[in-house]
Amino acid sequence: MGRYVLRRLVLALPVLLGVSVAVFLMIELVPGDPATVLAGDTASADQVERIRHELGLDQPLPVQYLRFVERLAHGSLGESTRTHREVLLEIAERFPYTLALALGAVTLSTVVGVGLGILAAINRGRAGDHVTMGIAIVGLSVPTFLLAIVGIIVFSLALHWLPVTGARTWQSYILPIVALSLHSAAVKARITRSSMLEVLGQEYLRTARAKGLRERLVILRHALKNALIPVTTIVGLQFGALLGGAFIIENIFGWPGVGRLAVQAIFNRDFPLVQGTVLLVAVAYLLSNLVVDVLYAWLDPRIRYG
Amino acid sequence: MNRIVRLAPALLLAAAACAAPAPTGQGGTPASKVGGSVTFVATTDPDTLDLHQTSNPVSSTIFGWIYEPLIYQDLDNTYKGLLAESWAVSSDNRAITFKLRKGVTFTDGSPFNAEAVKFTFERLVRVGAKSPIFETFKNIASAEAKDETTFVLNMKEPSAPIFHDLQTAYAGILSPSAVKAANDNIGRAAVGTGPYKLKEFQTGQQITLERNADYKWPPALFANRGAPYIQELRYRVIPEPATQLAALDAGEVDVLGLAAKDLARYSADGRFKIYDSFTYGLTYLGFDAKRPPFDNAKLRQALSRAVNKSEIVQVVFENKLAKVSCCPIAESIQGYDPKLKDFELGYDVAKAKAGLDELGYKAGADGLRATPDGKPFKPVLYTSTSDTHGKISTLLQAQFKAVGVDLQIKQLEAGALLAATPKAEHDLYLNGYSWNEPDMFSLFLSCDRIASSNRVLYCNPELEALIRAGRTELDQGKRMKIYFDAQKLTMQEAPWQPLYMPVSKTAINVKIQDLKQGQAGGLYWHDAWVKQ
Repeated sequence: MGRYVLRRLVLALPVLLGVSVAVFLMIELVPGDPATVLAGDTASADQVERIRHELGLDQPLPVQYLRFVERLAHGSLGESTRTHREVLLEIAERFPYTLALALGAVTLSTVVGVGLGILAAINRGRAGDHVTMGIAIVGLSVPTFLLAIVGIIVFSLALHWLPVTGARTWQSYILPIVALSLHSAAVKARITRSSMLEVLGQEYLRTARAKGLRERLVILRHALKNALIPVTTIVGLQFGALLGGAFIIENIFGWPGVGRLAVQAIFNRDFPLVQGTVLLVAVAYLLSNLVVDVLYAWLDPRIRYG
Repeated sequence: MNRIVRLAPALLLAAAACAAPAPTGQGGTPASKVGGSVTFVATTDPDTLDLHQTSNPVSSTIFGWIYEPLIYQDLDNTYKGLLAESWAVSSDNRAITFKLRKGVTFTDGSPFNAEAVKFTFERLVRVGAKSPIFETFKNIASAEAKDETTFVLNMKEPSAPIFHDLQTAYAGILSPSAVKAANDNIGRAAVGTGPYKLKEFQTGQQITLERNADYKWPPALFANRGAPYIQELRYRVIPEPATQLAALDAGEVDVLGLAAKDLARYSADGRFKIYDSFTYGLTYLGFDAKRPPFDNAKLRQALSRAVNKSEIVQVVFENKLAKVSCCPIAESIQGYDPKLKDFELGYDVAKAKAGLDELGYKAGADGLRATPDGKPFKPVLYTSTSDTHGKISTLLQAQFKAVGVDLQIKQLEAGALLAATPKAEHDLYLNGYSWNEPDMFSLFLSCDRIASSNRVLYCNPELEALIRAGRTELDQGKRMKIYFDAQKLTMQEAPWQPLYMPVSKTAINVKIQDLKQGQAGGLYWHDAWVKQ
């Protein structure tokens, strides 16, 4: 297993390199250059040229890329063209907030989603199934931004229980996490249900019951473990995506996360920052996929990695 | 369009003083009023607090509290001393000698003196390419610190707009010792002489400023002769307009600019008072005057007559958040003259149609016109992705259709729009300017700026001569006459059709007392205090 993880990590390097080249080329296609945007609407052509020179944008593209790679080799993602601070520092300031949001949302949505999925599966065709799947359909249908706004109206404006914006207190985390969780909880509920139903029909569960195991143990220890494999994939992908930032939720709640940073960097043509955040997303996906693959082996001992 | 925010700091200092007298404590500040906090909204983080490295409007708003320039613009638009007590201009108009205020200290404890001013302006020329006042300072031949309180600015040629640029937040004076201590990296280490100092910069969340208790040199027109009353000012970063409103309702912010749709609701809400103010600028419809067919003034004039400005102000702004503009210099800016209304082309559908007919743009069976060589006439209007510009563009499309012109709309994100216009990809251009100086002509209509900020690519030697004369004429009477002529010429040639001057409506929590407004509606905070 250790060798497998190491091999995956080594293989991640060319992937990240490929991502960086792709982003670098994509950035070239975006209309509007950083110097013009930085200089503003009253700047002269000389001013724009001077800024372009200061940023090294007057160099050929391959030279600019090699400089980027050279900096990367020295552990630097460069300097933000707007704030003049290290890109790593900019991301490091925001990342804990994004991580907290991602962890909270993934945990809440998994607990709720898997719980509802089990409930629906063991009550198949009965009221419990219909009610939980009804809730899941609502969760899938309601847009996240709408849920966020309704949450603000009810819990911040009407009840005065929670703050509207920011991440200053623990109460600030509740609305963004709940808003982010609903949709993914619904997805997980549906997947857990169908996966559980598939597992519940298997022979080994009949054997377990025949041995006199209590139903609770049959469901939680034997059925759930196997039913969780597809759910694990979803959790991994969602976690990776959330680590790249949840722009809409961050924007609505004024959350100081990576998503807002990345989108603002695109509008500002702050390309070093765009590169940095895209690489972060790539790393997040690679690592979360790796964790998912390792979890597979734990969940299903038949899966082995060499 | 955001330049008003950049100019606001000088206004913040220029308060009309009529606060009720109160027992004074240390430095002339009545102890009973000291305390409390006021929370503003910032749509984005200030990118940096290095005032030489940005043109960001949020940054400049914060500069106004922390840094102070040598001069400020008073309520009557005249320039008065702030960190300078007085100044004299040499007979050849090329040198300005400032006598500096004594007893001023930076918030790091170091003294303010001529060396600090020299250090600041030399740094601006060295690193300030991103500053909106950089071009003006390129005209500086040398800066001299004659003695502790005498500073001389030598210019390569006379410059009338320099006083405007010297009073902006971008011309605030830096503490040399603080800059050196920060290794020239002052983006998060702002130190000035202003009434507030930086307390905390929470990235993506909030910037907190703390009252400078040692401040005792406000402009003479303030009633409060000491430090500001309000203990803390906070700028909370909230990008989403709906959340900004929710934060105002929840009491998380105290000051918020309103959209027309929200005005009625907040006007009726006893928790807030609504303050009106004009923007130093306007929104205009421009034509790409460099290439056919809009290099023809007659075509520009004909289409200008198709524009119904009143309808725009009524439909888009409900007659509340904008005022029709007749002339290139907005009503709020020095140089505006109501007599110029006589030269306005005016809304006249019949004349617009006749003008187009005369030029050979004949209408087909569908009522839409073709170019004189028989091709469909479909000029393309470029504008930003802002909701307001989208609505105005749609109205203009309908107004042009009424004279048989099939206007196409292309909305571009701000960065892409800035890149597209110098390349002359557009036929028409809808945007605005905000610049509190009649010299806005040199930025937006000068031949020198064809490849950059002159986004209508208009170059007229006659106007160019007037622009140059306006920049170098220091006699105010003569200068205003020059700008009268420049405006008249522009209105006749019609590279621009001025549409409206934005009006800001700001809801402010009534707990904030003695907040004053100037003639243009700018808010003045130095006498304001928070009712606990």
